Amino acid sequence: MRNTTMWLAPVAAVVLLAACGGGDDADGAAAAPTEDAAAESGDDEPDDETDNAPAASGSLTIWVDENREPAVATAAEAFTDETGVTVELVQKNFEDIRADFLAQVPTGEGPDITVGAHDWLGSLIINGVVDSVDLGATADEFEDVAIEALTYDGQLYGLPYALESVGLVRNVELAPDPTPETFDEMIDEGQAIGTSLPFVINTNGTTGDAYTYYAFQTSFGAPVFVQNPDGSYTNDIGMGGDAGFEFAEWLGENGMSGTGLFSTDWTIDIADQEFADGNAPYTVAGPWAIATFVDAGIEVTVDPIPSAGGETAAPFVGVQGFFVSAQSDNALLAADFLTNYVATPEAMRALHDADPRIPAMSAVAQDVADDPVVAGFLAAAQNGAPMPSIPEMADVWEHWNAAQSAIISGSAEPEAAWEKMLADIEATLGG
Amino acid sequence: MATTTQAAPARVAARPAPGRRRRWLVDVAWKYPVAILLVFYAAFPLAYVLSAAVASSGTLTGSTELFRSVSTANVTALGETQFWRWMANTLIIAGSTAVGSVLMGAAAAYAFSRFRFTGRRGGLTALLIIQMFPQMLAFISIFLLLLALGNVVPVLGLNSKLALICVYLGGALGTNTFLMYGFFNTIPREIDEAAKIDGATHAQTYWTIIVRLVTPILAVVALLSFVGPFGDFILARIILTSERNWTLAVGMYAWVSDQLNANWGLFAAGAVIASLPILALFLFLQKYIVGGLTAGSVKG
Amino acid sequence: MPTDEPLASSPSSAGTPGPARRRPGESHARAWHGTGWGFVVKLVIMAAINAVGLAIVWSAYVEGSWGILAGTLALTVAANWVYFSKRSLPSKYLFPGLAFLLIFQLFTMAYTFNVAMTNYGTGHNSTQEQAVDALLIQNERAVEGAETYPLTVLQRDGEIGFALLADGQVLVGDAETALAAEPQATVDGDSVTAVPGWDVVDRATLLGDQSLQQQVLDLRVPVSDDSDDGSIRTREGTRGTVYQSTLDWDPQADTLTDTETGVVYVARDDGRFVADDGSALPVGWQVYVGFDNFVRGFTDTNYAGPFWRITAWTFAFAILTVATSFLMGLWMAVVFNDARIRGRKVMRMLFILPYAFPAFLSALLWRGMLNANPDYGIINNLFFFGARIEWLSDPWLAKLAIILVNLWLSFPYWFLVCTGALQSLPNDVLEAARIDGASRWRTWTTITPPLLLISTAPLIIAAFAFNFNNFTIIYMLTEGRPRFTDTSAVLGHTDILITMIYQISGVAGGRADYGLASALSIIVFLVVGVISAFAFRRTRKLEEIL
Repeated sequence: MRNTTMWLAPVAAVVLLAACGGGDDADGAAAAPTEDAAAESGDDEPDDETDNAPAASGSLTIWVDENREPAVATAAEAFTDETGVTVELVQKNFEDIRADFLAQVPTGEGPDITVGAHDWLGSLIINGVVDSVDLGATADEFEDVAIEALTYDGQLYGLPYALESVGLVRNVELAPDPTPETFDEMIDEGQAIGTSLPFVINTNGTTGDAYTYYAFQTSFGAPVFVQNPDGSYTNDIGMGGDAGFEFAEWLGENGMSGTGLFSTDWTIDIADQEFADGNAPYTVAGPWAIATFVDAGIEVTVDPIPSAGGETAAPFVGVQGFFVSAQSDNALLAADFLTNYVATPEAMRALHDADPRIPAMSAVAQDVADDPVVAGFLAAAQNGAPMPSIPEMADVWEHWNAAQSAIISGSAEPEAAWEKMLADIEATLGG
Repeated sequence: MATTTQAAPARVAARPAPGRRRRWLVDVAWKYPVAILLVFYAAFPLAYVLSAAVASSGTLTGSTELFRSVSTANVTALGETQFWRWMANTLIIAGSTAVGSVLMGAAAAYAFSRFRFTGRRGGLTALLIIQMFPQMLAFISIFLLLLALGNVVPVLGLNSKLALICVYLGGALGTNTFLMYGFFNTIPREIDEAAKIDGATHAQTYWTIIVRLVTPILAVVALLSFVGPFGDFILARIILTSERNWTLAVGMYAWVSDQLNANWGLFAAGAVIASLPILALFLFLQKYIVGGLTAGSVKG
Repeated sequence: MPTDEPLASSPSSAGTPGPARRRPGESHARAWHGTGWGFVVKLVIMAAINAVGLAIVWSAYVEGSWGILAGTLALTVAANWVYFSKRSLPSKYLFPGLAFLLIFQLFTMAYTFNVAMTNYGTGHNSTQEQAVDALLIQNERAVEGAETYPLTVLQRDGEIGFALLADGQVLVGDAETALAAEPQATVDGDSVTAVPGWDVVDRATLLGDQSLQQQVLDLRVPVSDDSDDGSIRTREGTRGTVYQSTLDWDPQADTLTDTETGVVYVARDDGRFVADDGSALPVGWQVYVGFDNFVRGFTDTNYAGPFWRITAWTFAFAILTVATSFLMGLWMAVVFNDARIRGRKVMRMLFILPYAFPAFLSALLWRGMLNANPDYGIINNLFFFGARIEWLSDPWLAKLAIILVNLWLSFPYWFLVCTGALQSLPNDVLEAARIDGASRWRTWTTITPPLLLISTAPLIIAAFAFNFNNFTIIYMLTEGRPRFTDTSAVLGHTDILITMIYQISGVAGGRADYGLASALSIIVFLVVGVISAFAFRRTRKLEEIL
């Protein structure tokens, strides 16, 4: 009697086990995503429940994000129809993919192929998780900047599919004429128009946003890293020297203690809102912001970014592509899928339709360039240079953003802040 | 709200005694304006969220005007995302965690409160201190542990809701045990003694007598444990690797974490809806909770 | 869960009690009198637990996961012992919670310590074998200007070879023999259909056979007898290109040799391949480094200065935020714990609102509301008459803002807790005080607080510990900004220890150093643990030892 024990907790535990385990078996295995593809894209793939064991008929696991999923699913379907290889799409948040890929590839849990951004390349390389890709002659069908971006130390590591860069977005109703060539002329235009702001740009609040301001910086001739003649980056900082300090001075002059053209009060939210409310005729923004403006009833077009320092304003170009895992057991299938089923005009077009960025394949880019917005961003991107993918880049952002924010807000002297930034970056890279 | 505040004084004032009326003014009347201020403080920022949820444009804090436009576009748009699936996931995970935490915490608190064994005090303290290890920074080990477990028991591997529930339950004992321990101590031991004399086993005593007496604290712990999974996005993000298994916190954070592509309207609408289950649970448990937390046994 | 295991067949080895069903223990015999149903249920559950435990043990045995096997076995045996023995009554109640605690909390802590002893992080991400793989991949390239030829996979006696179509003639070769023309081969369009002495592998066969795919990928057919000419390699089984590899792996000597420069890179203890001149190859691997990370955590000059300031602020933040929200919650509980107030339910509901919202959302929201520019920041606009107040970019104001926002987030919790605590105050004490003629004010100031503190002290300490590691609010509201201007470390005035660790661990980007981050998190845990333990000893004096 005294020994009859408390038994309800284990009951609950077992019931819990049964309830969760029995209700949704697919959740248990990391290999459930076949269902995803079927469930979400509505295609009727056979639902082969693989069980983490290598499937005899061969299978591919691909990480995609929500936007790109339908387009990749279409290509995957064609692949499955022709080869009988099952393709599993795992939907992930784009922001998480890099860290998860780094963590999971070495354990053997990772995907065969993942969607990704070219600036991850440096860390994928030194962590040894990415396989090279051989596009052969197909490489010539892509925009040079795209192939360049996914090339590291002379070797290609991914299949590019889209480009993105910021451009000068203009409110056609307020400013019907094409944007002037120089920053000062544009500001004069803007002031003549008489809106509450002549120009607005995201500064990411007090954090600073060197990415959005980068085209102005390059127009002074101060790239973040010195570039080789072929466009690849060395790991020498290019922001020192007179050009860099000139840019810093210019930021200070137009900052909050100067003319007030730039403000650290502007976050992406606020900058977009000001433009969408018609309070500024010009802004610097990327393709991702266009929907917000159009929804607000603004007629927009995109021009190249005007020069502030006399040279070409070259924004950062980001390239999205597909990477193959270095530990993939299905590298042959992965290569076959990418080169023969994704690197085709049809698949590239589908990807563009699913996620409207500038296609990296030249022919497809020409096809969609009758849209003035796409054409404008394409022109802006062709002026630009790929964002550095060297591992050192990750250590630069924080210092760079902070220096710009301090200069714009007027809390630091431009020269001193720039000096400190260079010293900090040196210390971090050296350390 | 307003009607209550106006009606109440009238009714109380109807009472005849003049002394009591002055007393009412001094004691009670001033509490209504204070309450209004406090409600404003508590709810005002949320007006912002509500405003963004029903706005037609997609920013959260881009301006100081509230309710510039009203539309149900954002709420409708939720249907096109996986929001409702995430909601279901979250409710399953939060619900299971709450039930599991209550069962385990109550049992442990009973043991600490009623039995005398070596290491009791030390154990209590150790429990709370172990909880202080930042689980967020143990994410590497959690990831690898689940990887290994998943090879053996697929339902406990990565990307499984059950695994996440288990990880949450790993932290179920700490503060919950403490909360309940104090409450268990307020139940006079004479009750146990009496039951024992009547021939009940300790299990019968526990399940039929004690558990009923401590219902309030069970409700509180249930609420606290239910809220936890709603707010946690770090562990959930590491364990739930595919989007269809995400919880609300992970999914909604993904909408806004991309600095340049933040979808605030959707996020705000989702957040408003996400807080409803918690409020509903609170309403349901309110009668238990108030008067639910209590001092440790203090013999006056 | 597979339940085809016979239910009550726990292993009778290893000193486990035999199957419960067949155990004629007299104590259980007695249990059949009176309320036997409890015991029956117990048996059923224990049988289920044993079945599950055995199933896990079995599949762990199949998988060769000895750690999991041992752990599961130990837990199953422990469960049987706890619930079938007459002794250890308390453990019957503690066991379920402790089991979870052991696996998911203590084990991960121990494992974190293990990670802290390694150099796991960027550039040391996996095993040496994988690092070598990656280096070989990175240093094998298509020869400049090389053509791509249609390729067919051939097979004979488990060996594979390639047939290439170049300028109208078929070239055949395998791992040992360099490419040579094969005039007898038949060709159909771009593909080779037959080669004497070889079987042609069709595409469907190749795509369906994973091990064959690996063979095909690993095959390098020399272009000629001169190895400098490179070799043919295929990526997808239909095209071949001439590749050159510039690194040579020697597993015996543990070295990689650059075939162009002749430099020899030797595997070192620190998990990298290093040449004599000190240059290292980019990919490294994980190795144990002992207590190096702990030492670095204390001696890195870059962090030493900020470290103490951050530690001080961490304590200040944790103490102040708990104090303010506790006092506010307490005061509200006192004020509204009054039966004469109407609509208390509605009030409570509204007070609880901040608690119902996910904290990270609230922090993001406040970040926007606190914008310094009154045109954008509603707080300055409405409450400070449109003045410009730099809430988030002034070091002191940012700290104040964090405490105020956290107050908003957590006062509902304390309001709830204190409301409950007040209602359960022992009436006899208050009664006695009243009889002794204490004014209500005296009662409130001298009698109630100690009583309240006794019940809430553990929660206050728990809240302190929680806020000590309150990553969410700092990260979402200020990200540690404003930055320190006197150090090159990316740290700021509002960073607390955990956000500092997060920054160092490089999870967010930059160079990850998980080893160092794990070591620091253990150090922080020790600090906060010791302080809390000390605080508990103090509160124990308050409480009556039962």
